[in-house]
Amino acid sequence: MSEGTLLRMTAPLREDFAIPYHDLGPGGEPPRVALVAGLHGDEANGVFVLGRLASFLRRLEGEGTAGRGLRRRVLIVPAVNVLGLNTHSRVWPFDRTDLNRMFPGYAAGETTQRIARAVLDLTRAAHYRVDIHSSNLTFEEVPQVRLYEPTPDERATALLFGFPAVLERPANPVYSTTIGCAWRAYGGESFVVQVGQAGSLQTHHCDHLFRALVRFLVATETLAGFDLATEEGDIHCFGVRQTLPVVSKHAGMFVSPLEVGSWLQAGDVVGQIYDGFEGELITEVRTPMGGLLSGVRRQPLLLEGDLVARVQTRQQLSEGLDIGLLGHAQ
Amino acid sequence: MTAVREDTVLTLRLPFREQLAVHRTVFEGGDGPRVAVVSGLHGDELEGLYVTHRLAAWLEGLLGERPDALRGTVALYPAVNPLGIDTLTRGVPPTGTDLNRSFPGRADGVVPQRIAHALMDALAGSALVVDVHSSNVFLREIPQVRINQAFADRLLPLAATMNLDVVWVHGSLTVLEATLAHSLNERGIPCLVAEMGVGMRVTPAFAEQLLVGIVRTWQTLGVLAEDLELPPLTHEPLLADDGNVHYLNADVSGLFVPVIHHWTGVRAGQLLGRIVSPHRGHTAGEVLSPVDGALFTLREYPLVYEGSLMARIAAGGGPGGRA
Repeated sequence: MSEGTLLRMTAPLREDFAIPYHDLGPGGEPPRVALVAGLHGDEANGVFVLGRLASFLRRLEGEGTAGRGLRRRVLIVPAVNVLGLNTHSRVWPFDRTDLNRMFPGYAAGETTQRIARAVLDLTRAAHYRVDIHSSNLTFEEVPQVRLYEPTPDERATALLFGFPAVLERPANPVYSTTIGCAWRAYGGESFVVQVGQAGSLQTHHCDHLFRALVRFLVATETLAGFDLATEEGDIHCFGVRQTLPVVSKHAGMFVSPLEVGSWLQAGDVVGQIYDGFEGELITEVRTPMGGLLSGVRRQPLLLEGDLVARVQTRQQLSEGLDIGLLGHAQ
Repeated sequence: MTAVREDTVLTLRLPFREQLAVHRTVFEGGDGPRVAVVSGLHGDELEGLYVTHRLAAWLEGLLGERPDALRGTVALYPAVNPLGIDTLTRGVPPTGTDLNRSFPGRADGVVPQRIAHALMDALAGSALVVDVHSSNVFLREIPQVRINQAFADRLLPLAATMNLDVVWVHGSLTVLEATLAHSLNERGIPCLVAEMGVGMRVTPAFAEQLLVGIVRTWQTLGVLAEDLELPPLTHEPLLADDGNVHYLNADVSGLFVPVIHHWTGVRAGQLLGRIVSPHRGHTAGEVLSPVDGALFTLREYPLVYEGSLMARIAAGGGPGGRA
């Protein structure tokens, strides 16, 4: 049980800066699980929950109650983009680089390549690795696991979080630069988790994420002494052709009263678009197909062609309909 | 008949009253090849806007004096990320998505994808597209053409007459498959990426240099009449590739102060600059050239973090030129 530093660097004017992590559970063995959040400095849910989870696991260790506690080693990196977090910046604040576009990184390269390499070097040996995100400032996501060209083991393990949705996404050029893709070169199992929305903390999503991570640690026999089986809700798995993007044909101001995770019927209203100057209703946006509302737009100002919602459909969508609209990567 | 017209390849409504429009200026001559110059994919890169201005002025002059000499059609796209240009934003506002990672795009996609799709449509059938970039705010680049090695056979002969100082053939990266150049080249439309200058600035001399290369290359393609007298090429490119390009990244954070001018020949071990601490009088680090070669990239923005790129050197070459 200790705190480590995965990278320490000089800064031009401030004191040196460091990216800290928690190293928990039995030492002297490769980590069983690595949990990473805060690659984007505006995604607070994952940072907050990983800090709370580390506190919870440390307290268990302190209590020393027989049968309760970590059986295997766990690494927790609550925030990679520390400077971004401190300055409310999604990207690395100095050169505006997205840290999750810099993988696999390069130890002798640009600052953000060095950070990426250090995160990868620390976490790659873990059998299970989880990269936690909170969408962006525009969109709210139902708590979900995202899989990119998963192995059969990853498909099965993804269910252990107990999130309401497991979504498979097609690999794409941008995904190739993310930590989730970089981990795949080292075997083991890798997961991308999306919870809520960037820019604020949604406590109900945080509670959900916290329980999901504890449940995952228990189910992978990393943490002992807890039984969360009674909390299980429905888990729905969707393939790469079961994501329907709902795109606006109109510009204006969009409002939606819907909660993510709702089930919709074909023709249900997703939200309304108003003319911001005249104040008149321009149109109601309806979903052409039924399914699980996995994400909905929260930023009201809408351009023509903007994504307003994603619906996970029961039926397979036709080839070519959805791929480009899925959002590139985390 | 020759004619000049301005039109839009895409118009999208913005949330409150305004609209986003991608404009182009088209100079129509004879039935010869169609060519295009694209700039402003990144909203903080302005060198290309001056290039399209100079080309427009040159073409307007040509149409006044020798309208018959325009045998083909030239389309100029000064700012394909117009909202980014107008708001000093590199990506496409409001999300900041990199337009040059959104190709080939789709007609029913999100805004950057729609711009990308409209451009791919508009540029279809071009005999040559020149995509002008100007680095970023951190680095100054000598005028150069960058070519993905997958398309080198076709593009190298075109690059040779572009009157630029460096032709850099780089390896393939998956993420670069989403660029305009890759998407066009993959569809058989030759696209040269010109990089020059520095972000948020205009370097008129570089624009004049590229202008000569562009019109000379147009002439070899039959866009301009063979008998049209053009300024001579003045620059011979140095060939760079992943084997001879050396990157100099900062070992320590601080203020980088160069002691050498951009685009000069350097010797192994030569002092290029110092990284100093604003707090104290000492030098935190000296930046030395690892090889003999040509300094073709030099840091413009002085502040560096550990890892920040300060310079690139092409080993074995020296600044050349036909002048």
